[in-house]
Amino acid sequence: MDIRNKISAIYSLEQLSAGNTVIHRLHPMSKLIATFVFIVTVVSFGRYEFGRLVPFIFFPTILMALSETPYIMLLKRVLIAIPFCLFIGISNLLLEQETAFVIGNTNISFGALSFGVILFRTYLCIMAVLLLAAVTPFNELALQLRRLKIPAVFVLMLEMTYRYIGVLFAEAASMRLAYILRSSGAKGVDIRHAGSFIGCLLLRSFARAERVFSAMKCRGYMIKTTGARRFKLRITDIFYCVLICFFCLLFRFIDAGGKLTVLEKIL
Amino acid sequence: MHMADALLSVAVGGTMYAASAAAIGYSIAKIKKDEFYEKKIPIMAVAGAFIFAAQMIDIAIPGTGSSGHIGGGILLAALLGAFPALLTISAVLIIQCLFFADGGLLALGSNIFNLGVIPCLFVYPLLFRPILKKEITPKAIWIASIAAVVVGLQLGAFGVVLQTQASGITALPFATFALFMQPIHLLIGIGEGIITASVLCFVYKMQPEILDRNTMLHESCSRDRDSGQEQAQGDESGARKKAPLGNLIITLAIITIAVGGGVSIFTSTNPTGLEWAIERTAGAGAEELESNEPLTERLAIIQETTAFMPDYDYRFAGEDGSLTGTSVAGIAGSILTFLLAGGIAWGISAVKKKRRSRAAAS
Repeated sequence: MDIRNKISAIYSLEQLSAGNTVIHRLHPMSKLIATFVFIVTVVSFGRYEFGRLVPFIFFPTILMALSETPYIMLLKRVLIAIPFCLFIGISNLLLEQETAFVIGNTNISFGALSFGVILFRTYLCIMAVLLLAAVTPFNELALQLRRLKIPAVFVLMLEMTYRYIGVLFAEAASMRLAYILRSSGAKGVDIRHAGSFIGCLLLRSFARAERVFSAMKCRGYMIKTTGARRFKLRITDIFYCVLICFFCLLFRFIDAGGKLTVLEKIL
Repeated sequence: MHMADALLSVAVGGTMYAASAAAIGYSIAKIKKDEFYEKKIPIMAVAGAFIFAAQMIDIAIPGTGSSGHIGGGILLAALLGAFPALLTISAVLIIQCLFFADGGLLALGSNIFNLGVIPCLFVYPLLFRPILKKEITPKAIWIASIAAVVVGLQLGAFGVVLQTQASGITALPFATFALFMQPIHLLIGIGEGIITASVLCFVYKMQPEILDRNTMLHESCSRDRDSGQEQAQGDESGARKKAPLGNLIITLAIITIAVGGGVSIFTSTNPTGLEWAIERTAGAGAEELESNEPLTERLAIIQETTAFMPDYDYRFAGEDGSLTGTSVAGIAGSILTFLLAGGIAWGISAVKKKRRSRAAAS
């Protein structure tokens, strides 16, 4: 396990948020609202409505292209989240064997349909959240939480947690390396040593927190004065937010696929 | 054990959001009573980051190829106190959701409830602390940790089962799902309990003041003995307060019921996917259904539409094959849509690349 790889894996997504594309320049609040509306809309569909979900693929795909986010990086993270959904999906596949419809000679069961819906929905929701993180710096997201009246204590702690992860990762990795080097090729930390190992990491972490707090106080830190760059709401921000909401509502209440088939019948 | 967006309905997700938000708000209010609470923020933040770092360490579990890691609700509560621990866990879950795709934005409330509120605000004060009431010995720490972690995880896993079932996403019968989830989390719980216990024992041996100062185990012991009553506290000020846990539970319950009720009324007056499914499976169109059916059957359908967990019978309403044509068209349409979306994305990237290379050349 390479520390640098691990740490860069954590922060790689956020590093992208320093980009300067159309999407990056949007107001963080507008992106936050759009993402939330999108997820709620996607989740609100029924368990067999695969067709209705299809148009929603446009949002993450186009957003990804516009924000120049590498697809592979997002896909890797989507795969992490899949297993639990896969389990629920497969159980549907096995339990609901009644045929929903037939294509050619293949029966498509309700289970297969709901399996597809669960996986597709997982993909859409996760892509939306990851893209939000990839195009919005974390401190700006945190500032928006402050504007949403979430108490400063919590937001500040959230930001600090995120910043500390890298520091403690390095600490944990060097401790682990030392352990491995002295234990003649052990694969991991033995469970008998887990307590002292993790406990030691904990004590070091707490000592570090004390030092950091003293340093912050020495530099005149006060909880009220922490702030980040203020964004001005521009017309494009409002336009983006309204556009996404309109898009979501449109495909929520109008069955585009259904309209197509009606058209087909007329022709 | 993270809940995903795809497994939740909006009503359940919203309800859990409300419950978790109430619990967090209550915890913040509690913490702020401490005049030195600012000093606690870095410690809470480091504890959150510690959870991430500790998860990276692979602890070899003998006899299995797998490795365990700590999820941390009980550990954090024992180190920081119940209320700060809830905030820390929430921060961890938010970061996991945003950057690691673990859990989801809508599922956040549900995850905070299952992994934070349950272990920190219920299991910790009601199970962990009473076990360590008399005196703190390594043995007592072991028993308390394993019991609390196992119970916490069992309740959390049960929460996942309940929330998934209430959302109506899975076809798994309730009992099967629970029978699958609970034993797995029993094993995970024992593993995590052992690690939690050994960490707490080590910390107690090395720097007992960390445990004492933060959870005031000793003080709470004497207080509990005095009042003979369960006390929920997270503040260091040591002000005597009578059972605020009761208030918390009542507040939580009221908010949950209010929001849950509100959301379900809203969703049932705005018929969603179920109605569509009924229309689709009922045959050619909904018009026939409306005009020909006697009132009772229509009522039954309305009931089915608005039911909390409707029967799945509506699927069999019509199998006259009328779906076939539309479905083939639907699938072709879906594939076309995917291709179109991919094509647009490809086009945008191509244009961007060209523009960049032109800028570099000039």
